[in-house]
Amino acid sequence: MADIVEQDSQDQNEDTQKGKFLTFCMGNDFYGIEIKYVTEIVGLQPITEIPEMPEYIKGIINLRGKIIPVMDVRLRFRKPFREYNDRTCIVVIEISEVSVGLIVDSVSEVIAIPDEEIVAPPSMAKEGNRYIKGIGKVGTDVKLLLDSDKLLNDTELEGLSEL
Amino acid sequence: MKKLLIVDDAAFMRMSIRNMLQNYEIEIIGEAANGAIGVEMYQKLRPDVVTMDITMPEMNGIEALKAIKAFDPQAKVIMVSAMGQEGMVKEAIISGAKTFIVKPFKEEFFYQTICKVLGI
Amino acid sequence: MSEQYVNEPMLDLFIFESMQLIEQMELLIIANEKSTTYASEAINEIFRIMHTIKGSSAMMLFNNITTLAHSMEDLFFVLREDKPPNVDYSELSDLVLEGLDFIKVEIHKIRNGDEADGDASELITSLRVFHNTIKGQDVKTSDLNSAQGTVAPETRPQEKQHYYISKVRSETTSLRNTFQATLSFEQDCGMENLRAFGVVNELRELVEEYYHIPEDLDHEDSARVIAEQGFTLFIKTDHSLEEIHRVLIQTISLRDLQLIQGENSELFNDLKEREILLEDSPVKVPTAFRDKVVNEPEEKEIQASAIQQSIISVSVAKLDQLMDLVGEMVIAEAMVTQNPDLKGLELNNFEKAARQLRKITSELQDTVMSVRMVPLTGTFQKMNRTLRDMCKKLNKEVQLQLIGQETEVDKNIIEHISDPLMHLIRNSIDHGIEMPSERETRGKPRLGTITLEAKNAGGDVLIIIRDDGEGFNKDRILAKAREKGLLQVPEDEITDKEIYNLVFLPGFSTNENVTEFSGRGVGMDVVLKNIEAVGGGIAADSVPGKGTIITLKIPLTLAIIDGMNIKVGDSRYTIPTTAIKESFRPKMTEVIVDPDNNEMMMVRGQCYPILRLHDIYHVQTDVIHFTDGIIIMVEQDNKTLCIFADELIGQQQVVVKALPEYIRNTKKVKGLAGCTLLGDGSISLILDIGGLIFRQSA
Repeated sequence: MADIVEQDSQDQNEDTQKGKFLTFCMGNDFYGIEIKYVTEIVGLQPITEIPEMPEYIKGIINLRGKIIPVMDVRLRFRKPFREYNDRTCIVVIEISEVSVGLIVDSVSEVIAIPDEEIVAPPSMAKEGNRYIKGIGKVGTDVKLLLDSDKLLNDTELEGLSEL
Repeated sequence: MKKLLIVDDAAFMRMSIRNMLQNYEIEIIGEAANGAIGVEMYQKLRPDVVTMDITMPEMNGIEALKAIKAFDPQAKVIMVSAMGQEGMVKEAIISGAKTFIVKPFKEEFFYQTICKVLGI
Repeated sequence: MSEQYVNEPMLDLFIFESMQLIEQMELLIIANEKSTTYASEAINEIFRIMHTIKGSSAMMLFNNITTLAHSMEDLFFVLREDKPPNVDYSELSDLVLEGLDFIKVEIHKIRNGDEADGDASELITSLRVFHNTIKGQDVKTSDLNSAQGTVAPETRPQEKQHYYISKVRSETTSLRNTFQATLSFEQDCGMENLRAFGVVNELRELVEEYYHIPEDLDHEDSARVIAEQGFTLFIKTDHSLEEIHRVLIQTISLRDLQLIQGENSELFNDLKEREILLEDSPVKVPTAFRDKVVNEPEEKEIQASAIQQSIISVSVAKLDQLMDLVGEMVIAEAMVTQNPDLKGLELNNFEKAARQLRKITSELQDTVMSVRMVPLTGTFQKMNRTLRDMCKKLNKEVQLQLIGQETEVDKNIIEHISDPLMHLIRNSIDHGIEMPSERETRGKPRLGTITLEAKNAGGDVLIIIRDDGEGFNKDRILAKAREKGLLQVPEDEITDKEIYNLVFLPGFSTNENVTEFSGRGVGMDVVLKNIEAVGGGIAADSVPGKGTIITLKIPLTLAIIDGMNIKVGDSRYTIPTTAIKESFRPKMTEVIVDPDNNEMMMVRGQCYPILRLHDIYHVQTDVIHFTDGIIIMVEQDNKTLCIFADELIGQQQVVVKALPEYIRNTKKVKGLAGCTLLGDGSISLILDIGGLIFRQSA
């Protein structure tokens, strides 16, 4: 019985989190990521480099005893690197029990974006777009909604492991 | 709460019985893995009712039943049986077992049986 | 149970206990099959094991296992009770082992979350046939069958379910009351005939005469009849209706009771005239149980409870949790005692207290680690079955010698050792040990020997598999390696030992006709992979004609190691101290550079390659000149390497943490074994010496 009850509250939880996005900015663009994947947001921490990783994987950090890898989202999107400052944050996301910290310029707010306000992304071959799941309209602004799964599991990575 | 003693050599059965009764007003005061320990625990803990497996090493359920009954003629013992143990169940009945249940049994039925045996 | 919430722990326990019992039973069978008869203790134990598995699987509703277990239990019941003189124990063993294999397969399915949908009907038929053969030898069995209610149907007259009131009879005067009671029991309560028996048993003291329908409560159909039609009792007694009612209504599992007083004893007389089996002493108890009277309960009790207290079973999950917590504590302790805030301060009392804390933490750690250590006994014993099966299938004669099975290894590692060991033993018997006749012509004892030995060696456990077979065929191995392009060392330079170790390379398999047991898919390279997965290594050696030795080296534990922390620029690395031979500040006179620009170190006349950590891992550091830094000489698998770093920071126990999955999925960096947290909260990467050596040689 306990199992069923747990599942119910988990579903409920997900329901209340559905359609809510954490927005952060990178340069002039605003991005959004589904809040249900975000486990926490921390300020910049000392990063330990790991050799032979792709450029956008900066290394690992010690988050209260747990070791989390961190990824620079700018570099991931092949944008020019920007020095970190005191506004830089790490957004820790977790998908299928894999945790990654996303280094972003700054974090904005949590917004609810109803399904009707989300449109499919333009199918341009531009690099950054493969990680965009949709475009959300909030008033006059647009938020580029990230496909968290792709961000973490893009097959592009498989080629690298052969190196 | 009424107190129950489980006597069974299979850890699995002990856990099953414990799990089945966890939502009821019955306290499992002990678990014994063979008849000999069962008798000893009965004497020490004086449960209100005992569930007794029939086949066990060291001392089987029938012998343990007899020993417990000799110690306490009012002892309430429920034999736990599997199919094909007719002969032994019969001997248990004669030796004073209150009743028996046959595997597989359901939680509700098990609980009702215990209640009937306890007279509640 | 299907209506109930069957939880994971119960399923786990069912699987665990059943597998344990099966292993126990296998050992008994293998030990006993060689003799002319099974020891009676063994038969008893096997009977009990099958009985327990039958019961537990019934509770879990795994009915195919239940019915098979029941058949096997029946078989051993006959063996126990009748002690038939002519039993083909070899055939029995095969049958029973086949049964166990079926159950094992079903349990594996269950463990993987699949349906236990195996069909054992053929096997059950074979068991029944065997059962009938041995049963036919002893007349006594017919009694027991009726008591068991199992096999051959009794040659008794069909039950009369109703009776008809015949003509009125004049009754003899009697003050006794006559009652007719009809009881029905709760649906599916099981063994209704015995419940009826229980009722009769209760009433016997209170009544003068009684009859009941159905008459024969031992008949195999009686339970069904009573379940469908109820149980009818006719009693003659001095007791009143109320008293009889009071007794009957207390029957457990009673659904319905109808009690009516008879007018006269007409019913009785009528019934009396029919041939009814009056059960005076209704018990037809198999003699075995009657004899098993409690003789010395006292002695047995004490013995039994003594054993009970010394062992408890703990869930592995809890142990893992404990391990993790202790690991965290080690880190936290370091963070306190090596806190940068304390740097440079004179804190004598603090130091003393910190030392004490360190001591206790260390002891706690050792104790918790020892809890997870499990002797290899179970794993080694499993090999008996493998050996027995292989010998039977290939008609070879081999004995298994076990040495050092008490040697302990971390629980997590043990699971990864069985399969490789099994394969190595299979290989040994298949390709190593010669046929008995051939052995004789070679002057070897007919009976081959495989020795399985385990012993501690520093931070590792060595498992050695030795056989006295024909050894590896050097030429064939070389030829195969050449053919498959697997040779990395020029043929004239390769040592014998290196040749033998070629068999572990992926893609290798010398045996042309890939046998069912060893060869394709389960090659030596898979064995190597499994061993490497737990951080171990494997090596082979052989003497042609005499035998082969395979040595497995397994780390004692994966979780906490003794490490030396080193600094390269801003980065920190940790080297397992077991790999460190020595460390020193190099002198330029000791450094040699060869024409290919490979740097090497001369140490006491020997030359070793130098590995610049800052170089291979691209770490920024000011320390580039050898004389400014430090050399740490490390060794793994007889290969030595000199690692160049900035400086040594210090030695400490470190908790090994795996690199995050995301990182591992991105790329497996050769030379990194994991990471750990240092006292100041920074992360140090743990070096994998084997990996570094590999990089260097590539």
